Amino acid sequence: MKSTEDVNRVMDAYADMVRRICFVHLKDRHDTEDVFQNVYMKYLLYEGSFESSEHEKAWFARVTINACTDWMRALSRRKWVSLDALSEERAVLDDSSNEVLEAVMKLPEKYRDVIYLFYYEEYTAVEIAKILGKKENTVYTWLSRAKDILREKLGGEWS
Amino acid sequence: MSRVQNRIQKSMENIRATEEMKQNTLRYLEMQQTKQSSIFQRKPYTALRYVMAVICVFLLAGTGGYAVYSRPVSYISIDVNPSIELAVNRFDRVVSAIGYNEDGQDILEHVSLKNISYQQAIERLLQDAYYSRYLNQDSQLVVTVVSEHSDAMLEQINANDSFQALGALTYSSDTACMDEAHQHEMSFGKYRAFLELSQYDANITVEDCHNMTMGEIQNRIRSCQGHNGSDTTESHSSQHAEEHSSSHGHH
Repeated sequence: MKSTEDVNRVMDAYADMVRRICFVHLKDRHDTEDVFQNVYMKYLLYEGSFESSEHEKAWFARVTINACTDWMRALSRRKWVSLDALSEERAVLDDSSNEVLEAVMKLPEKYRDVIYLFYYEEYTAVEIAKILGKKENTVYTWLSRAKDILREKLGGEWS
Repeated sequence: MSRVQNRIQKSMENIRATEEMKQNTLRYLEMQQTKQSSIFQRKPYTALRYVMAVICVFLLAGTGGYAVYSRPVSYISIDVNPSIELAVNRFDRVVSAIGYNEDGQDILEHVSLKNISYQQAIERLLQDAYYSRYLNQDSQLVVTVVSEHSDAMLEQINANDSFQALGALTYSSDTACMDEAHQHEMSFGKYRAFLELSQYDANITVEDCHNMTMGEIQNRIRSCQGHNGSDTTESHSSQHAEEHSSSHGHH
């Protein structure tokens, strides 16, 4: 079991990333809070060690994505995000951010992960493939399709 | 940084874990940590296992030991008028003392005979002022033993000087006789005497004997023996009870 110091450190380091991954997957704040806690609980009980901070960060990304997927599977009737559910978040975002976010949120779930990891966390396709446990080529395909959809929604600037 | 990347980052950078969310989670983890450590943390858990193992050993040894200690293997019936039965464990300690008539129960309220050797218990009884009131010229002290080692026990009992001085009689009996006696709510020593008397007097009943002292029963036996032309007490044996030895000085 991890120490309190470790928990505090990873809370500072990865809370925002965990929160964002939750955001692109989950419908509302309560779900987010539950999954957020679950992810850190998994860390608390994780027996393995991390080779580096990159390794640790990738672990958090993978565990969070899996936790979100599991959560959504359990709540399968609530498959997609309504705009109302975003209202809390929208308060802190400007219109242009909203437009982008909404477009990202409307992507199929698997595309949301690659878009987030690729553009926001700046992972390479190879790294994303490792995190998601997919083939590199699959990641490239998903990235390409996700970009196509976003381009269609948001206009030519995405090309 | 590409324009696309810039826009995505910009759209998401305000999405952050709130302090509330972090604090709630830390509190939750702390709670789980305490819970988990109390269950899984190796050191106390290991220690607990040893403690539990030791407790189990003590409990088993304790209950097992107590079971052995408290299990009677021999019985001694001490009858004058008070009828008292002692249950004796394999270590020759008295584990229970039961009064089979009012006088016997009365005595046991005044004298503690438990957790001492049966020799000490008999000695204590004979030395007791309250008990001594029943030991007079007309009384007869009879000690009857049910045991696999009755010979050795009777030898031990007979070795007691005050016991000999009282002219006490000693007999051995068996568990069948003891069980019958208890069905009649009588000590097996007195019941053995009843069985002996009933050999001579067919009209005698257990009820009659309930109201008789051992002195009275022995007198009846002697008078019957005299009537039948026999004057030995050594040769009698009843259906269930077998006379072991008798007549140490007093008849």
